[in-house]
This record gives sequence, C-alpha cells and structure tokens, in this order.
Amino acid sequence: MAAAAPADAKAEAAKMDLLEDDDEFEEFEIDQEWDDKEDGNEAVQQWEDDWDDDDVNDDFSLQLRKELEGGNTQKS
Amino acid sequence: MAAYLSMGEAHRRIADYLSRLDDAISQSDGADLASLLAISSAPASTPLSDALAAFPDFPRLASDRFPHLSDFLPPLLRAIHSHSLRRFGDAYSSFEKAASAFLQEFRNWETPWAMEAMHMVALEIRLLAEKADRELVMSGKNPDKLQAAGSFLMKVFGALAVKGPKRVGALYVTCQLFKIYFRLGTVNLCRSVIRSIETARNFDFEDFPVKDKVTYMYYTGRLEVFNENFLVADQKLTYALMHCNPQSESNLRKILKFLIPVKLSIGVLPRRTLLEKYNLLEYADIVTSLRRGDLRLLKQALDRHEDQLLKCGVYLVLEKLELQVYRRLVKKIHIIQREKEPSKAHQIKLDVLVKTLQWLGITMDVDEVECIMACLIYKNLIKGYFAHKSKVLVLSKQDPFPKLNGKPV
Repeated sequence: MAAAAPADAKAEAAKMDLLEDDDEFEEFEIDQEWDDKEDGNEAVQQWEDDWDDDDVNDDFSLQLRKELEGGNTQKS
Repeated sequence: MAAYLSMGEAHRRIADYLSRLDDAISQSDGADLASLLAISSAPASTPLSDALAAFPDFPRLASDRFPHLSDFLPPLLRAIHSHSLRRFGDAYSSFEKAASAFLQEFRNWETPWAMEAMHMVALEIRLLAEKADRELVMSGKNPDKLQAAGSFLMKVFGALAVKGPKRVGALYVTCQLFKIYFRLGTVNLCRSVIRSIETARNFDFEDFPVKDKVTYMYYTGRLEVFNENFLVADQKLTYALMHCNPQSESNLRKILKFLIPVKLSIGVLPRRTLLEKYNLLEYADIVTSLRRGDLRLLKQALDRHEDQLLKCGVYLVLEKLELQVYRRLVKKIHIIQREKEPSKAHQIKLDVLVKTLQWLGITMDVDEVECIMACLIYKNLIKGYFAHKSKVLVLSKQDPFPKLNGKPV
C-alpha cells in the first residue's frame, strides 16, 4: 500500500502513480439507461476464429518459401 | 473574487439551498436530493459558495433551522465551502461526516426512495477523496483519504447488500469500491464484495441495473486477466462488451483493451476494422504476427509497446503468444514442404527450423529449437514426436496442428 513508504523521490513518484488509473471505467450517469439489445453491440461480431488456414500465398509465406528453397539448393 | 454580497442575500441563498434539501427529503424526491449533493464538480465560485464565504456563521444557520438534520447539513455546507476554497482535504473530512449522517438516515428509511442520492454520496466521497489525496501528496503528506473513502463505502455496501428492496443499489457501490481498490493497488480487497454479490441466493444478478452490471463485469474481468483465468475473463469482458452503452466509445475501448489479449490467448483474432475503430492499433502487429507466424514481428511489436502493455498488465499475456506464433510458423513450413514433397512433409528437420529462425533474426541452436518444439508438443499445440538422433521433428499424420478451440495455451 502507498502508506508507510520512505519519502524519497522514487516513492513519491510511485505514490503519484497510484493516484492514476488510465484504465478506470468512465462513470455512466447515475440515471443513465440505454437500450440493451438482445444481440449486443456490433463489436461482439468483429472476431475471427477460422484464421488458422492452409493459405501460404501471402507475402510472408512467399518469402518463407524462398528461404526454405534457398536452404535446399545450398545443401544439394 | 466574487462580487460583494450583502449578508441578507447570502443568508437567503443558504436558506434557500437548505430548504430545497429539506423539501427533497420530506417529499422523498431522490433525484432532486441527488442533484443537491453533487459538489465535487462545482466551479470555485457558485451563488451558494459565494454566500457561504459571505456568511461565515452558516453552520449555526443550518442547525437552528433544521435541528433534525443537524448532523448532516452543517458538515455538508462546510464541505461545499472548503471545496470552493480548493481546500480538498478539509472538504473531504467534512463531507465524510455529512455522508455518515446521511447513511444513518438512509438506513432508517424503509423504502429505497433515496437510492439515487445514496449513490451520489458514494460517487462524491470517492471523487473528493481523490482530490484530497492529490493535495496531500503535493504537500508531502500521506494520502490516506481514498482508503478512508473505501472504508466508508464498505459501510454503505453493508447497508445495501441485505435482503430487501435496497439490494438493487449494492452493485453500484461495489463498482465504486473497485475503482478505489484498483487505484490504490489493493485489488485483493475486491474479493469479499465479489463473494457477497455472487453468492446471493435471493437476488438474481440480472436484476441489477445494466450500467452497474457492465462496470462490474469490466472490473471482475480485469481481475481474471491478472489471475490468468482467461476463459472466465473472456466471459466477463464479453458480457461487458455486449451490454455496454453503444454510445460510450471510451468505455468500449477500455473493455477491448483487455478483451483483445484474452481472445488472442485462446486463438481468436480481432478484425482489423475493430482495431481501427477503437484506436487499438498497438495490437495490429501482434495480430499480424499470429497470422503469419512471424516471430520477429511479434518481438518488435512487444518491444515497441512494452511500457504501455506492462502498465495495463497484459504484457505477460501477450508474451505467451510466442508459442502460438511458433506453431503457426511450423505449420507454414509443413504446408510448403507438403506442396513440394508430400511424402516427406511430416518430417521437419530441426536444422531447417534453426535456419528459418535465423532468417527471422533469432539466433538459436538445435538444442534450443528442440526444447521449444518439445514445449509445443507438451502443450498440445503440435502433435508429433522427435527422432532425436536424426534431429527431426516428426509430425503426426492426423491433425498435426490441433485447433485451440477456445482453450488457453
């Protein structure tokens, strides 16, 4: 806890830091209500779980292929 | 400085404020009462604060006129006065006295008519304590007001988290407590209130107001991230995302800031449009690195945003994505080999991995690579075994790269 720390500059800075929380949730107004839709906010639909495909035609894979082939020619 | 104010006018303004408070109480008007208690957002000079400055005997005025509220009104006026003078420590101390008196009254009221006002008191005491603590730090003193506000709010919580009609207001106070504990870094104190909320037999969580449920799920979701319970964190933060006010972009962004690392850890990627819309592009390269199997890009992205990611406590979660990126890279090597020479595709020479890593700027010897592959097999990210002598990773012919399927690594 912030309490009994020695009063050097570093501890002071840490104390100040404790008084901040960048990720603090903003207060909704006390009487604020909103339409709580059945299917929720659209952000809920913005995800992919089928990305782990067999496609190796992107730039990175093409470079990787070149790299692997280069390695093979060196060996043989 | 405020313009000259006659004693008569000052007296009239103070009496007027006090009558409105007394009326709100006698008419059980919770909304009006709440609005009269919002003092921390007031500018330095208001008609009321000018009047308090011009009429120093205001505590007596209050207790003479409204003797039945003599524990509540004088300290409330003192708090307003000190706040207008920017003496936040004093303002806090007076407000805490008024708040205790108010809580006493609130306990005695059978119906929850004053809930909005009780919530305003809970909010105000936190905001005033934060101002007071900043003042204390500046003058080299120990900032202990926010902690004191936490103790007071525990009493409020105790008055609400009981059987009966007041219970619906308990979650709001819980959320105020979370904000205090997160700020003070004493998040372990959240546990007892969480238990009290979650084990209630006679109150359904869904019956709490949606704004409180969303805030509660945001904070408990963050706690689960710290505890590395990614599946529960996913549920809670997804709930918050789903039900949050769609107009509240900054809160949606905060939810996503924690939900994205959690989703990544279970193998689910956010779309680019989501990152753009909520200005969370610090995650863009990390997502790309997973798609590609690009270890160099992952390291670069983590290095670049290290401070920021450490600060919000998700760095360690993201660091663990390395194994998923390794898996993706091995998978790509496997696919490319399969196209060339299908019969030998399931044999991956460790030598090839060493060279590939070198190409990505990572220097590792065969033993280290073997160690990482062993880890991938152990974690069931890859199915296969080692031909140790010939330094080959032999992939299983059946489903060599099992899907994460929402399981954390």
